[in-house]
Amino acid sequence: MTRTMRALLGASALCSAAVAAHAQDTTLTIATVNNGDMIRMQGLTDDFTEQHPDIALEWVTLEENVLRSRVTQDIATQGGQFDVLTIGNYEVPIWANQDWLLPLEGMPEDYNADDILPAIAGGLSVDDTLYAAPFYGESAMVMYRTDLADEAGVEIPDQPTWDDIRTAAEAMTDQDAGIYGICLRGKAGWGENMAFLTAMANSYGARWFDTEWQAQFDSPEWTEAVNDYLTMMNEYGPPGASSNGFNENLSLFQQGKCGMWIDATVAASFVTDPEDSTVADSVGFAQFPNKDGVDNHGNWLWSWNLAIPSSTDAPEAAKAFVAWATSQAYTDMVAEEEGWAAAPPGTRTSLYENEEYQKAAPFAEMTLNSINAVDTNAPSVQEIPYTGAQFVAIPEFQGIGTAVGQQFSAALAGQVSAEQALQNAQTSTQREIDRAGYGE
Amino acid sequence: MATQHSRAAARVMISPAVILLLGWMLIPLGMTLYFSFLRYNLLMPGTESFTGWDNYYYFLTDPAFSSAIVNTLILVGGVLAITTIGGVLFALLLDQPMFGQGIVRILVISPFFVMPTVSALVWKNMFMNPVSGLLASLWRFFGAQPVDWLSEYPLFSIVVIVAWQWLPFATLILLTAFQSLDQDQLEAAEMDGAGALSRFFHIMLPHLARAITVVVLIQTIFLLSIFAEILVTTNGGPGTASTNLTYLVYAESLLRFDVGTGSAGGIVAVILANIVAIFLMRMIGKNLDA
Amino acid sequence: MARAVSTRRKWITTVVAWALALLIFFPILWIILTSFKTEAEAISTPPSFLFFDWTTENYGTVQERSNYFRHFWNSVVISIGSTVIGLIIAIPAAWAMAFVPGKQTKNVLMWMLSTKMLPPVGVLVPIYLIFRDVGLLDSRLGLIIVLTLINLPIIVWMLYTYFREIPVDILEAARMDGAALRNEILYILTPMAVPGIASTLLLNVILAWNEAFWTLNLTAANSAPLTAFIASYSSPEGLFYAKLSAASTMAIAPILILGWFSQKQLVRGLTFGAVK
Repeated sequence: MTRTMRALLGASALCSAAVAAHAQDTTLTIATVNNGDMIRMQGLTDDFTEQHPDIALEWVTLEENVLRSRVTQDIATQGGQFDVLTIGNYEVPIWANQDWLLPLEGMPEDYNADDILPAIAGGLSVDDTLYAAPFYGESAMVMYRTDLADEAGVEIPDQPTWDDIRTAAEAMTDQDAGIYGICLRGKAGWGENMAFLTAMANSYGARWFDTEWQAQFDSPEWTEAVNDYLTMMNEYGPPGASSNGFNENLSLFQQGKCGMWIDATVAASFVTDPEDSTVADSVGFAQFPNKDGVDNHGNWLWSWNLAIPSSTDAPEAAKAFVAWATSQAYTDMVAEEEGWAAAPPGTRTSLYENEEYQKAAPFAEMTLNSINAVDTNAPSVQEIPYTGAQFVAIPEFQGIGTAVGQQFSAALAGQVSAEQALQNAQTSTQREIDRAGYGE
Repeated sequence: MATQHSRAAARVMISPAVILLLGWMLIPLGMTLYFSFLRYNLLMPGTESFTGWDNYYYFLTDPAFSSAIVNTLILVGGVLAITTIGGVLFALLLDQPMFGQGIVRILVISPFFVMPTVSALVWKNMFMNPVSGLLASLWRFFGAQPVDWLSEYPLFSIVVIVAWQWLPFATLILLTAFQSLDQDQLEAAEMDGAGALSRFFHIMLPHLARAITVVVLIQTIFLLSIFAEILVTTNGGPGTASTNLTYLVYAESLLRFDVGTGSAGGIVAVILANIVAIFLMRMIGKNLDA
Repeated sequence: MARAVSTRRKWITTVVAWALALLIFFPILWIILTSFKTEAEAISTPPSFLFFDWTTENYGTVQERSNYFRHFWNSVVISIGSTVIGLIIAIPAAWAMAFVPGKQTKNVLMWMLSTKMLPPVGVLVPIYLIFRDVGLLDSRLGLIIVLTLINLPIIVWMLYTYFREIPVDILEAARMDGAALRNEILYILTPMAVPGIASTLLLNVILAWNEAFWTLNLTAANSAPLTAFIASYSSPEGLFYAKLSAASTMAIAPILILGWFSQKQLVRGLTFGAVK
């Protein structure tokens, strides 16, 4: 046993020696989410390390929820384990206000921050200072199978209403052939089913809170939105929908099991990629639906961004990396290596002005229009005390949204009725919001 | 027998383990206890303030709390039932002479080596997925409508996954116990005309009592804090249908980042775990002393 | 076994046992098979069992994404390190409990076991803060310490039950001969205890290897073991069954192989006093 011990100590000494040999270089630890675009970025980092031979990169790639809890825990305790964080536009303003993030000032000259889409940049700035650089951005839209629509004899207009969607879903559904008219998110989580349901409720004219911070799940708008959602999913949706999130639906759509899928615009490049998608050449796009008479297309806006925690010990190197990964040059490089359709979408005006991109990405125009249509200051048509989009921009929303999401997920699974789910959502939301002291 | 000297030596030998565990228990537990009386949200630093029993009140009145208790009990009880009964039957079978016994044994114990995260991921995606899972294919092959396991029977599905992982452990321990069974006694009973069933209930089962106790004790310790399997497969849902106590505490502290309430939940969980521990100790005391 | 068993009965037993064993083993077999399929074949209905184009490209893709060997090495160091340190602390304690039992021995033992019932998530934030202050975050040493402590109760108990079965007479005889305590342990007890220690060691390497809460929450890049490696595959992106299977196979293979080869040693000591 002593021998084992000695071998072990020797081995770990060897390892620390190996680490020490690299110590003169700066090592950046980058926490990132396991999305396709991020994984592509990892594959392209040779370009960065060639430009910056003194900087070594370490990746911590995690699934979204794990990443979020891991990163929040570290930044809130100032653990300092990461130098670059991948976070959403929900976190950026909240964290910037806590002084947890370094402002992105003094970026390299060719960075051209003015090129960033105004809607996206607005969500990442506090007092006109940018605190995170968008890696890709998205709104939501309808993706549908043109072949199935033709077969079923339905047409989906560019600006469909929810009635159009329901009619089309019914016509396209062919359960014997394993084809489900509509796929929507059902997996509980504030960033999963509640992202979709909040956007859907927005487009029904609903709001989360009235100006007195009273929860609004007892309003007719929410009731109607949730009931329509459940009806559509129960009748025309795939089995097991209550555990489907973005990725599960993407997989279903790529396998050709969905007639329509209403989700993040970023999915467009995946469903039209012939390598991964069996339906690549027959996908059409339309704007996020609204209820007839309500001028609101969901107001979904999300971006995955790179930010630098104030606890980093290598701010300059981190800034160099963030600039590299979110630059125009990076987009060009992806285009060169993997084609224009693979370029990270939704962050820069220049991309949408690029003719080659427009040609390669049939979804470009719809994506840009959807993003530009978002107003994060007024996500609902009614008067509200909060800002946001498919989320409410308060720190408590993660908890509230997830608890409410569980209720609607349970309703989708048939374990509680829609009425009961709404009532539970109302109680739990009010309970949390009162506890946090809003509206006092 | 034991001299004064050796008693002192014994105490010295035990102390490192005791001191370390005491430290491991008291320091974080002390801090948790302290946090549990604070209003402490990770996302809002600098706002920590003393709130008395607020966090406890909040945690205990959470509608998810009572279902979490029930789910925890079902989870532990379900897995224990499947693994002990299944384990006894498997051990009985593996104890019989057969061809390729070694390989059979290796196959049966394999699930015990699989990481819980991996087994949950694989069961969820490749087996229980209602569209492209293997069970769905099997159901369709027989002309049945595929079952959506994780949303229709979330708790049952998790029990199955966890039981799959722990069945080998129970089988191994029970098999060892079978092998120590006095064959002469069995043969004598057979001569006396005792049937197979009566031999099983009157000779084998009493002999296994100790082994079963051990299986129950060890598994309970691990099953009370089942977490990875729930996180990966159902996230505690749909609703709170598969939320156990550990997962609820996780949701408070790492999904809502409410460390105060999470800590209160942690303390509640520790208290409940200790009640179970006392209960188990009684049981063990009876069975293991002899 | 002294009893003569009819060949027919043996055959029936064989068939039944093999069928059940294969059923139990099937999920693992399926992971391994799927890891050699293309993504399209991995989801094909009806599923293809053995007749498909075998490919190893998934392993390449996985390795390209994350450095497997580094995670693997971290897993090795952490699981063996924590087990060895655990044994060093536990052997004397278990020895003392087994051979010099006091009135409180049993209670101490049960108390030790009850510390294992702490839900880890309840004490995560305190531990995180402590580790931050002493600089143990994302270090193998930090993980070794935590895993040693959480598995210590099991180690002590397993050794205790094993040691108790060693006949005391032998020790008494040695004491008569005036053997010192040290020699008693070194020359008499240790050889007899080796099977028990070996199986404790194996069980704990397995438990430490598979521990997925602390290893995920206290690590970033430097010390992340295979549990963190698999965590980056835990949600599907498009078609992913084959890649998931390849990553899973890579994560479980080392411990599976260790388990198969050491099965006999593992079983020998894995009684927890269940057999008298």
